[in-house]
Amino acid sequence: MTIPTGRKVIFYILLIISGFLVFAPTLMAFAMSFMSNKDIMTGSLPTSLSFDNYVRAFGQFPLLKYLLNSLIISLVIMLGQLILSSLAAYAFVFLEFKGRDLLFFVFIATMMVPFEASIIPNFHIIRDLGWIDTYPGLTVPFFAMAFGTFLLRQNFKQIPKELREASQIAGMGDFKFYLTVVLPVARTSLLTLGVYGFLTSWNMYLWPLLTTTNDNVRTVQIGLKQLQTQEQLNDWGVIMAGAVIVVIPTLILLFLGQSKLQKGLTEGALK
Amino acid sequence: MKKILAILMLGFVLFLAACGSDGNADEAAGSATAGAEGTSEGSGDNEKQVVTFWHSMGGAGQEALNAIVDSYNSSQDEVQVNAEYQGSYDEALTKFNSVAGTDSAPTIIQTFEIGTMSMINSGSILPIQELVDADGYDMSGLEENIINYYSLDGTFYSMPFNSSTPVMYYNKDAFEAAGLDPEAPPETFEEVEEASKAIVEANPDMKGFALQAYGWLYEQLLANQGALLLNNDNGRTDTPTEIGWTEEEGKSIFEWVERMVNDETFANYGTNGDNMVSGFLAGDVSMFLQSSASSRDVIDNAPFEVGIAFLPHPEEKERAGVVIGGASLWMIDGKPEAETNAAWDFMKYLQTPEIQAEWHVGTGYFAINPAAYDEQVAVDAHEEMPQLNVTVEQLQATTSSFATQGALMDMIPEGRKIMETALETVYNGGEVDDAYNTAVDQFNTAIEQANAARGE
Amino acid sequence: MSMNSTAIQQTPKSQINFEQVKKKQRMKNFSKGMLFLLPSIILFSVFLFYPLARTIYLSFFLTDAAGATTVFVGWENYVTMFTSPIFLQSMKSTFLFVLYTVPITIIISLFLAVIANEKLKGIGFFRTIYSSTMGISVAAASVFWLYLFHPSMGPLNLLLNAIGAEGIGWLTDTSWALFAIAITTIWMNIGFTFLILLGGLQSIDSSLYESADIDGAGYFYKLRRITIPMLSPTLFFVVTVTIINAFQTFGQIDILTQGGPVNSTNLVVYSIYREAFVNYKFGSASAQAVLLFIIILLMTFLQFKFGERKVHYQ
Repeated sequence: MTIPTGRKVIFYILLIISGFLVFAPTLMAFAMSFMSNKDIMTGSLPTSLSFDNYVRAFGQFPLLKYLLNSLIISLVIMLGQLILSSLAAYAFVFLEFKGRDLLFFVFIATMMVPFEASIIPNFHIIRDLGWIDTYPGLTVPFFAMAFGTFLLRQNFKQIPKELREASQIAGMGDFKFYLTVVLPVARTSLLTLGVYGFLTSWNMYLWPLLTTTNDNVRTVQIGLKQLQTQEQLNDWGVIMAGAVIVVIPTLILLFLGQSKLQKGLTEGALK
Repeated sequence: MKKILAILMLGFVLFLAACGSDGNADEAAGSATAGAEGTSEGSGDNEKQVVTFWHSMGGAGQEALNAIVDSYNSSQDEVQVNAEYQGSYDEALTKFNSVAGTDSAPTIIQTFEIGTMSMINSGSILPIQELVDADGYDMSGLEENIINYYSLDGTFYSMPFNSSTPVMYYNKDAFEAAGLDPEAPPETFEEVEEASKAIVEANPDMKGFALQAYGWLYEQLLANQGALLLNNDNGRTDTPTEIGWTEEEGKSIFEWVERMVNDETFANYGTNGDNMVSGFLAGDVSMFLQSSASSRDVIDNAPFEVGIAFLPHPEEKERAGVVIGGASLWMIDGKPEAETNAAWDFMKYLQTPEIQAEWHVGTGYFAINPAAYDEQVAVDAHEEMPQLNVTVEQLQATTSSFATQGALMDMIPEGRKIMETALETVYNGGEVDDAYNTAVDQFNTAIEQANAARGE
Repeated sequence: MSMNSTAIQQTPKSQINFEQVKKKQRMKNFSKGMLFLLPSIILFSVFLFYPLARTIYLSFFLTDAAGATTVFVGWENYVTMFTSPIFLQSMKSTFLFVLYTVPITIIISLFLAVIANEKLKGIGFFRTIYSSTMGISVAAASVFWLYLFHPSMGPLNLLLNAIGAEGIGWLTDTSWALFAIAITTIWMNIGFTFLILLGGLQSIDSSLYESADIDGAGYFYKLRRITIPMLSPTLFFVVTVTIINAFQTFGQIDILTQGGPVNSTNLVVYSIYREAFVNYKFGSASAQAVLLFIIILLMTFLQFKFGERKVHYQ
């Protein structure tokens, strides 16, 4: 399986051009975060580079605390989603019961409810539960996830039915089968879902803003919003520095997850 | 290999679980210590009363605000003010409406001027008037034109905080290059048009004038003609039932813009004020209308000399003046008396001339207390930047009337959006008559619906 | 539907066809299914179904600023909605937006996934780059593009000026704004779509390609006859999710255009947000939300009905 050199060159050219196009906005933000506001305003190339913007972004509010909160919240949500989604997906694929298809459509339908549209009734629930300014208020509503159930259902469907029949003959219960066979086989999908869940939770904005009133449990996305002004001139350098701070942890995770994901995926493909 | 991976996965999951419970423990501990802090401060030797202050100031405004709060906290040892950012004014208000009456509600909330009627209707606020009366606080020191906005039927409701009015910014260097007198900026709509033509003639790369599609500016241009936004005296004598301006007054603004669009001297920045300002700084446009709160920023960042002038008006009308904009601080009802009094003490501190001078110079917002302009910092700043003076002069030259007192109704945020859409239609080459009539219809419908929703 | 085809098997023990046993078995299966689904069902009920029911209820009322109902108006909110030119415009923009974003996102991501699926040196680096936009939050991405679209100092207009073209009012011109939002959205979605499609590509059995190679099949023949059909479950999933996401676009509009100019980017979810958060009309916001829900439900139902038939499961 060797690729001819001519085709290799074409692929590399395509890869590099696309890579540049996809990454250019991020690169631009990164460069701007080191530039002074005057350079940005006048559209000139940077005359000097400094960490001033970062110093100011960190000075304005407890960014480290925000980062830690974001990490805790994202991890808890990710874990909750993995457990609940895989349980639900197992039921939809391997268990036969009345109303299963209907229930599945109901699940999928929940994906259609735009969160922004039901955000106020949801906020009232959190308020009535006394969960404002707490981690449960920020995490529990997101544990059940139709998207994750859907993704894992697609994956579980590719597991041969014979495997389950064999396990039933061997007297293996459903929960044991789920735990010892299905989960390990589907680990790449679980990993993908985990990364996805982590990233989306990390990136939430409107909900954390509504359900927190002080810095104790606030997340970094709110910090980014605080850097933007309403009546005064935007300080682009500081805003970009804030954006970079917010983006770096997720990019690192993606980078790490990517290589792990790769290993898992190729292994899965070889079977 | 697979087994190792499975074990790794399991380990990972366990690690996460540990993190999760750690998180919860942290949180429990966190709230416990927070509670402990509260009680120890309540009963300890320094007896600090905590005041929660919700605000919507991001960026540079937040820095200035935090500096003031810190200075208050260290100026005395009885009250601890916690300033907490709550998102945009809209988001903060929605949140407040949901938690009003619960323990999560703040002691003080900052709300934009057009939220005034909603706040009064909400029934969860304490009019500042009651505190003024109980305390015997002397209001005569505060700027009358600002106080007027926040008073209804003789009751003073909320304490103005970040107050601003619109002014016209212009590029003095560009004026000179176009053969215009940089010390005599245009005063009327017609003069603005003439000046714009001269600018474009002298420099085809620069547009003459920009008007951000911003409902607030439309309201101001109406008020400057002495026109009302809503009937029943701008909603100050009775609940409004329809718009308050005449067709001539309302249309004049659209027609003015249309003429400049046709002359190709108009720069369209849509609803984005930030883009407009940077366009101005980059020399793409020579004049624009914007809040006086930007003055400090614009002057500091411009590579040329910036002029500030009064808001223009149609030639055949007298200048009536401007309405105060920005935001004010509301006292929330139902808090323990000690907390309310502490918050009131903080509000009074904010109105002292020293703090107001610092605030005015640092941001470009008005000093609520005119005595602040005599403070040394303010005098120095005005000497260095005489333009800042113009904003103050314009406010003080305003004749007090229902028109310049400003309109009060809970639907004004929606009304602003309607006028913005209409303005943008004209910017994009739409017919003035269509755009204007649609806007008026929608505006009246919005008023009707708001009245119906109150169930009156 | 394909899931019915899996329903043939029966547990071997219950072959004696007694009604009683069958019923018991069915009960057992049902409760077992419920046990697995219970955690999800409880959370969905509290945080989705109840709010949804509440939304439907609110859509028949007028409300005050706190969201409390004041006047019952029956279907009036719906009637107003369907006769309001602003809302109709908003529906039109939403459909246009879905049309702009979904196919382009999938085509670009598929292209990236295909070229990143080659076994070349340093390919991991490119994969990370392509999936990077997934790690960038809506708030951060919108800020990036807000600057890119900036009329006077934005790189896009500077580029246009450099080649002698007029700058474009990306976010202020009615004919460009929706397109600009679409570009931003496509960029943000590429990372995720790419990752899923790449995963799909990698799980295709390599022996299929090897036998095609033996037959001397060309690159594009293999792409058309092996890759795309084998990728169909993944593609189906990606299309469904991208459509739903497109209908629910919110953050980038809030930061980039606030629905303007002249309501051209006032997509449904943003319109709902405005009605509720700015205008305090929770009644009409709820009516819009209910309609949006029905539309997405219908579209997804149709997709499962007709789309999943063509999907090839291994």
